[in-house]
Amino acid sequence: MKTERINPINAERSLVSELVGRLEIRMLALALALGAALSILSPHFLTSNNLLNVLDQSVAVGIVAIGMTFVILIGGIDLSVGSVAGLTGVLLGRGLEHLVIPVAIVLAVLAGMTIGLFSGFLIARFGLPAFVVTLGVMAIGRSLAYIFSGATAIADLPENFGNIVYTSILGVPAHVLTLLVLYALAWTYLNFTKGGRTVYAIGSNREAARTAGLNVLAFSILPYVISGGLSAVAITFASAQVMSIDPLAGTGLELDAIAAVVIGGASLYGGRGSIVGTLIGVLIMVMIRNGLNLLNVSPFWQGSAIGAVIITAVLIERLLSSRAFSR
Amino acid sequence: MKAEDPEAAAQPQANSVPKPMLIAAGIQKAFDRTRALAGADLDIYPGEVLGLLGANGAGKSTLSKVISGHLTRDDGSITLQERPLNLRSAREAIEYGITMVMQETSLAPDLSVLENVFLAELGRPGLLSYRRLKRRAEEILDRLGQKETLPLDREVRLLSAAQRQLVEIAKALALNSTLIIFDEPTASLSPPEVERLFQVMTNLKRSGHTLVFVSHRLEEVFAITDRVTVMREGRTVAKSLDTASLRQAELIRLMVGQEIKSVPANSATKAAKSPRTRVFEVKHLSSAPAVRDVSLTVHKGEIVGLGGLVGAGRSETVEAIFGLRLRQNGELFLDGKEYAPRRAGDAIRAGIGFVAEDRRIQGIVPDFSVRENLLLGHLAASRKFGLGYSQRKVKLDELIEKLGLPAERLDTNMLNFSGGMQQKIIIARWLLLEPSLLILDEPTKGVDIGTRTSIYSMLRHVAEAGVGVIVVSSDFEELLSLCERIVVISDGVSIADVPSAMLNEEKLTLFAAPRTSMEQNSAVLRDIAHDLNGAAFWTLVDQDRLFCLYAAVTNDQADPGFRAGDTPMISDTRIPAALSRRSDALVLEAENQLGTLLLSVLSDRGHDMGWIGVTLDGRSPLPSAEQLRGRIEGFLGRIVKPQ
Repeated sequence: MKTERINPINAERSLVSELVGRLEIRMLALALALGAALSILSPHFLTSNNLLNVLDQSVAVGIVAIGMTFVILIGGIDLSVGSVAGLTGVLLGRGLEHLVIPVAIVLAVLAGMTIGLFSGFLIARFGLPAFVVTLGVMAIGRSLAYIFSGATAIADLPENFGNIVYTSILGVPAHVLTLLVLYALAWTYLNFTKGGRTVYAIGSNREAARTAGLNVLAFSILPYVISGGLSAVAITFASAQVMSIDPLAGTGLELDAIAAVVIGGASLYGGRGSIVGTLIGVLIMVMIRNGLNLLNVSPFWQGSAIGAVIITAVLIERLLSSRAFSR
Repeated sequence: MKAEDPEAAAQPQANSVPKPMLIAAGIQKAFDRTRALAGADLDIYPGEVLGLLGANGAGKSTLSKVISGHLTRDDGSITLQERPLNLRSAREAIEYGITMVMQETSLAPDLSVLENVFLAELGRPGLLSYRRLKRRAEEILDRLGQKETLPLDREVRLLSAAQRQLVEIAKALALNSTLIIFDEPTASLSPPEVERLFQVMTNLKRSGHTLVFVSHRLEEVFAITDRVTVMREGRTVAKSLDTASLRQAELIRLMVGQEIKSVPANSATKAAKSPRTRVFEVKHLSSAPAVRDVSLTVHKGEIVGLGGLVGAGRSETVEAIFGLRLRQNGELFLDGKEYAPRRAGDAIRAGIGFVAEDRRIQGIVPDFSVRENLLLGHLAASRKFGLGYSQRKVKLDELIEKLGLPAERLDTNMLNFSGGMQQKIIIARWLLLEPSLLILDEPTKGVDIGTRTSIYSMLRHVAEAGVGVIVVSSDFEELLSLCERIVVISDGVSIADVPSAMLNEEKLTLFAAPRTSMEQNSAVLRDIAHDLNGAAFWTLVDQDRLFCLYAAVTNDQADPGFRAGDTPMISDTRIPAALSRRSDALVLEAENQLGTLLLSVLSDRGHDMGWIGVTLDGRSPLPSAEQLRGRIEGFLGRIVKPQ
């Protein structure tokens, strides 16, 4: 049998370039550089209070971004996460009026998963564009949130509901801990289980995954179910933070979540991206917000800064990948 | 083959037009690490139809694309009308009057026929006069003699493949092209459509156009071209041969070369082994719309070929077997057990592996490393929650060593490997699962000739280890050399199951002829049998063996003892005397009093197409040979001869 000619570019790859080649490493370097810059510019940045603040602000978007990563990995998109969060938040509020806290939360999460199942089924079974289906669900979700809430915020939540945020274990608040645990679970699932690799394979080449006998239908729906469920988890923590549930809650969450995933290096075509990258993407976004606040920059500039980072991230990714995959 | 002197071959007939309009010399082109063209030459004479012939992967399409500006060459020269031609784009080629009608059409599906024909003009500034365009389009279609076949206001996506091709041709004419290159234009056409295309090409030639006809089908090249240039492995092996002076065998030799010819030897000899256990059997499989009635069996350690023309339903058959397509009918047995896959996962767990036709679309997961691509089948077979990669480690190490794949490259990107290696990795994906049946659809498509041989030997080893193998291929030469038996599928029906040792390319072509002509011919034979109250059949005879293409028996007393698809020894039929004598006379069998008349069938070009036979019960009075011939001659006019 003939031996294969080896691509010279590949053969000469050293450990350093291998590391630089890893997207997460590049993004981590960016995050650290950003953190270093901020701590030089503002004496308040590197205080434990502020760092906890950064994490605190990361929880809602961070949890939603996990689901969004799954969805984007299979080449889909979920625009409905914000309004699913709003709707499940209202359902949670209504639930809390009659039920004990854990049951109300579980029901809200199940409701989110059901909505995800609905979108995912339509998309995967009938081949509808994810963009359109979730756009529709986004409108329906927000509308139902208004109807079920009577278009007013629900503020009379049980006293101890706030405990799910303010309990801390070893000095780490429960919701931050939950965030980290969820990322660890997602990381393990995506890298070390059959289902996780199936998600990647589907995103990379759906037809090849089907031909190789993987269960494409089930694993094309699953990400939407995860996304819907995690939207509910996210709004639960967000509501507990402010002890109020607003039908408007979660507005714009989908854009932040997509931004985090994209900054984290995932390809919107699917198949490429990582959960660690997403976490870093979330942190970069929150750090930019936090840093601009600390530096007393008008909040109106935040959008421009984050937009610039998104576009730069995608551009860099494209330039790097076109070099790697050009033929 | 080196004996073929290209210089001598290059001399066109003395009385032809003296100077070529276009000369391509020493063209080289590489994609990545694959060399598609390694010194290809081509001369095109004005007003001729030039056939560009070669096996799959010989570089015909690449050369055509270089000439028509779709690709830029790496090296070599092209001169047009004695001036050097350096095209940078297809657009520029059009300005020089060169257009290529592509395999996959380059039309805008949502625009009308008219708009597509004048697509280039839509980019011009100013207003369009649809009335004027329409008049011009009608004029063009008129010139093609196809005014009726193409409604100008129809959207292109609603058209058939043949109609789209006409649009492409009209488009070329709208651009005033003088040289039109047809890249495998007949690949997706039915025989009547091919006929019509040839009519169009003849019209074009008559109106002074120069045509290049790219094909790997010999019959078509004989039917339409004036001269033939043959390519093999990226090189021109014979230039501008006069078609009229050529013989089929000679062309095949040029196309295939000697290297491949040496391969066939070992498989055929192994065919006569002791009876082996059946690994897989399928009976009367149907899967609408492409598969209508397919039956086949595969034994342990046997390579079975699925032959037929493109679109005959071969890929669909194996996809249905693998659970990728819904089945309406059919019983399947794997290892003696009934097997009814509802999805590919079922098939894999039952012990079947499937290498799909299109490696890039159906095979490779581009973002996965070689390792994960190898383990993809395992992932599908596994019912675990985790990966379970480690349980395959031993087998994996063994396989990559056999593949000659360095272990340290296992975690690199799959796309860095050559097409051949990629294909081997995809095959290994299934070997890893130690299947009892391995199905490969066009396993050597887009694979260079060297790797092709190593894929063949890989498959032979797999079979020797006791796996049943099914190979689908459009390359008859490949089927004949690789497979022990060939099941021929024509228009969704398995019509013959023949040991490949008994076949050659011509016989295979006849068996594979589309069912449309077959149905008509069967009808003709049925009419004859009915008219004479006997049996009528069409058969090929090779030494002492028979290859029955069609048979119709209306009187059981006159049964010749074989049916369509059968390949009995002459002595095993009921009419051995007639078949072995093959005379003009009406031959009466001594044993059973059957009277048989055989008529030889020749193609329009004089090729031997076998015999039409009529068998009658000799116990009732027989007509004379002349009378009989007179009675059936009228019917024979309706016979459709395969192209």
